[in-house]
Amino acid sequence: MLSLLFKNFIRSKGTKIGLLFLLCIGFISLLIGKQFKDKQQNSIQETAVYQKEHIARNAAFHKDEIGLLLYYIKFSLVNNTLPINSLAIGQRDVNPSIQSVTIRSLEGQKYDSELNNQNNLLAGNIDFSFVLIYLFPLLIIAFSYNLISEEKESGTWKIVATQSQNTLKYILQLFYVRILSLIVLLTILLFSAVLFLNIPLDESFFLFYGLSILYILFWFAICFFFVSLQKHSNFNAVILLTIWLFLIIILPAAINAYVVNQYKVPEALELTIKQRNAYHEKWDTDKNETMEKFYKHYPQFRTYKLDEKAEFTWLWYYAMQQMGDDESAVLSRELESKLQQRNLASQRITQFIPTLHTQLQLNEIAHSDLGNQLLFLKETTKFHEKLRLHFYPKIFDNAPVDQQNWEKFKVETFRDSSENSLAKAFLPLVLFILLLIGFGWRNFNRKAI
Amino acid sequence: MKILKSELLIAKHLRQSVFKNSALYFISFFIGILLLYATFSGWQNYRTQNETSEKYQHESREDWLKNPDKNPHRMAHYGNFAFRKSTPLSVFEFGMEPFFGNAIFLEAHKQNTANFSEAGFSNSMLRFGEISIAMVLQVLLPLLIFFIGFNSIAYERENGTLKILLTQGINWKQLLFGKIFGIASVIMLLFIPTIIVLVLVWLFLQDFTITADETVKMILFILFHLAYLLFFCVIAVLISAVSKTSKKALITLIGIWLLFTIILPRTTQAIGAYIYEAPSKIQFNSDIEKDILKQGDSHNPNDPHYKAIKDSLLRAYKVDSVQKLPFNYSGFIMTEGEKISSRIYNEHLAELLQIYKKQNSFSKTVSFLNPYIAIKNLSMGLSNTDYESYVDFQKQAEDYRYKMAQKMNALQIKYISNTKSDKPKIIGKEHWADVEDFHYEPKPIGTVLKNEIISIISIILWISMLFILIRIASKKLKAI
Repeated sequence: MLSLLFKNFIRSKGTKIGLLFLLCIGFISLLIGKQFKDKQQNSIQETAVYQKEHIARNAAFHKDEIGLLLYYIKFSLVNNTLPINSLAIGQRDVNPSIQSVTIRSLEGQKYDSELNNQNNLLAGNIDFSFVLIYLFPLLIIAFSYNLISEEKESGTWKIVATQSQNTLKYILQLFYVRILSLIVLLTILLFSAVLFLNIPLDESFFLFYGLSILYILFWFAICFFFVSLQKHSNFNAVILLTIWLFLIIILPAAINAYVVNQYKVPEALELTIKQRNAYHEKWDTDKNETMEKFYKHYPQFRTYKLDEKAEFTWLWYYAMQQMGDDESAVLSRELESKLQQRNLASQRITQFIPTLHTQLQLNEIAHSDLGNQLLFLKETTKFHEKLRLHFYPKIFDNAPVDQQNWEKFKVETFRDSSENSLAKAFLPLVLFILLLIGFGWRNFNRKAI
Repeated sequence: MKILKSELLIAKHLRQSVFKNSALYFISFFIGILLLYATFSGWQNYRTQNETSEKYQHESREDWLKNPDKNPHRMAHYGNFAFRKSTPLSVFEFGMEPFFGNAIFLEAHKQNTANFSEAGFSNSMLRFGEISIAMVLQVLLPLLIFFIGFNSIAYERENGTLKILLTQGINWKQLLFGKIFGIASVIMLLFIPTIIVLVLVWLFLQDFTITADETVKMILFILFHLAYLLFFCVIAVLISAVSKTSKKALITLIGIWLLFTIILPRTTQAIGAYIYEAPSKIQFNSDIEKDILKQGDSHNPNDPHYKAIKDSLLRAYKVDSVQKLPFNYSGFIMTEGEKISSRIYNEHLAELLQIYKKQNSFSKTVSFLNPYIAIKNLSMGLSNTDYESYVDFQKQAEDYRYKMAQKMNALQIKYISNTKSDKPKIIGKEHWADVEDFHYEPKPIGTVLKNEIISIISIILWISMLFILIRIASKKLKAI
């Protein structure tokens, strides 16, 4: 029986076209993911080469003044890109994955944006997560909206009903065939991705895979529920598409607008002005005042005294630069906590919206979410501070440039070590699925099929 | 009038049958709420955007003017900011705004990136899209039209009433136009109130003092959306007329809608981006640096380019050292350096923008196949939220930066003593006001229309094609 149902399903021209279309666009998404990954990797390699050349060239030029040299040279920190990121690019296209900073004020450099064509950002990537979240449901709807209803409309249902002892079992078998073929398709795509993109078969991959399967089951559960209402095919098509529209376009947009309005970030622009003024005005204020503030922040440097006679010293200069960060620190922390709140609020709300939940979870697994970006920014601050603490005494002593081991300063990498929780990822979807199947089951049992 | 009579009768009949359907009230009510919500959030966005931009632009200006007497080059590093402002129509069409950087720091020697975009501070929810009036008009209303229209003729065919209609002396052309009028009149019940609210909000936002430019943009915005919606009414009726059953019509129409609004826009842009790969930021920046170094390094005393300038100056003024020149030498060199670095930066930027343009050309061309892309591009252009507007904003900011830096260099050349002296090398603060504040001017309507010529042609072509299709259909269609 099952094999006949399968043959019947797969023989239909629509089914073949649908599956083929999804397979093709799935492979295209892998190509796009690969291109993104290659670009990232090239950037990282280029950065490594560039940093080496850049430091060597500047060290040769400004060999007498380490203070001046460090005005120019930039050090890079890379946000490690997991291979699985090619499947869920997330926000990695908007946010830069490489931060290059000098040891001057950080706040003026930290938020430098990535080079981008805004048209691409608006349209969005066709990565695997898009295919899964947008397109799989459409095919699921196309495969199931007319189950039973079409046979009823064409009058063949009575024949089926009289010939099979258990009509519910028959319906389940119809679903089983469809679920199986889509999960096979998903598996083919994901395992091709493993080979093509060198994705390790680790915990995050299986989490990704599990989440994708649950997401597909969720949409089948929705269809199951609406089939159980036993309405007209046209009604089913309209209502299922409307639900799709809601879950994919309207609710996400509404929630996003809510979160953005709830946690506005005027601090960002204020911060950028503040850090500029805090540094620049020190040129015209009392030097000793600036130095006192600097010593307060770094008591260990109190032994370096300002040369009263010199009009300009690097000690004073970097103390001024430090003030750019110190005096905007409050705003910077506020901005960070606002963004943190945004992230938490959206995570809380999206638990109830399976589409959004899946997208955010996939991004989290792939380290391409806002949370990862915030961690990266935090790490940039640490990286910058480490450089400062290393170079400050050297500058204040005017240590000879050629005696520094510049080779040591290679591009560093930040690895996000946050763990993904299985329960947090799976539970909301499982609950939705059970609920929908439960209600669908009740409907079938209540009303004669 | 006599000819139109039967069309109007058909239209009236369709309207009545639509109003009998309670689901429609529900959907219309819901879309109404969405429209209100979209207006509200658009208004909010616009106000916050412009209030904060103005506030900080003003603050930055005040800070600039408050600077005490100092060396002009210090001022060139003090710099200014360009904060992005929105135009009134952006209340209805957000376009790419969330992806635009909101602030550019403008200083000497260096072209900074536009930072603090909304997208950079959001998680991927933003990528699902936003609810704006334009989105409701361009995405949701076409779907509603399809939901209303899929039955229009196919159902009559299924029922057998189509034959009756045709035997009663009504021809296909009348039937098609009648049905189109019918659907259009239902949609207008949503469209017209929206437009009225839209115009009122738009007037209110500008305190009822509107410019001719903005008015033309607004009128075009309304007219193009009207054409766009009518266009979907025609498609709905035509598909319904050629489909054997209403189910087939519905599925075809849903397929068209998905293709137009969801699948094609993303795919075509992705193909463009895939084929014409843009350089990474690090590559872009290091290429510029390499070219600048090739031209000469103003910091290197032995650099041939700058040495040649120095020698020619010494010869022209018949002096033996730069200290004896009658003007400030380092100011002169910095003017030259700024000129060279800006030129090189602009050349590289032009190359990059050319690549972006190629990426975008793909989806622009596809607007001939997809009216959604055409209307989207056009409405983003009119509301100054498209890619070109952002490039334009960045360009105006860069022009300002260059002028500011060169003005400070000119002040240095003129007023700063060239000899080594104990006197502090500063000039009076009254000079700071010589540099005007940054002011962003949106593109005028002429430029918008020129940029979007492809979209306009494509919409016109679509309309004429549909008229032709109606003609062909009314000759070839059969009742069964």
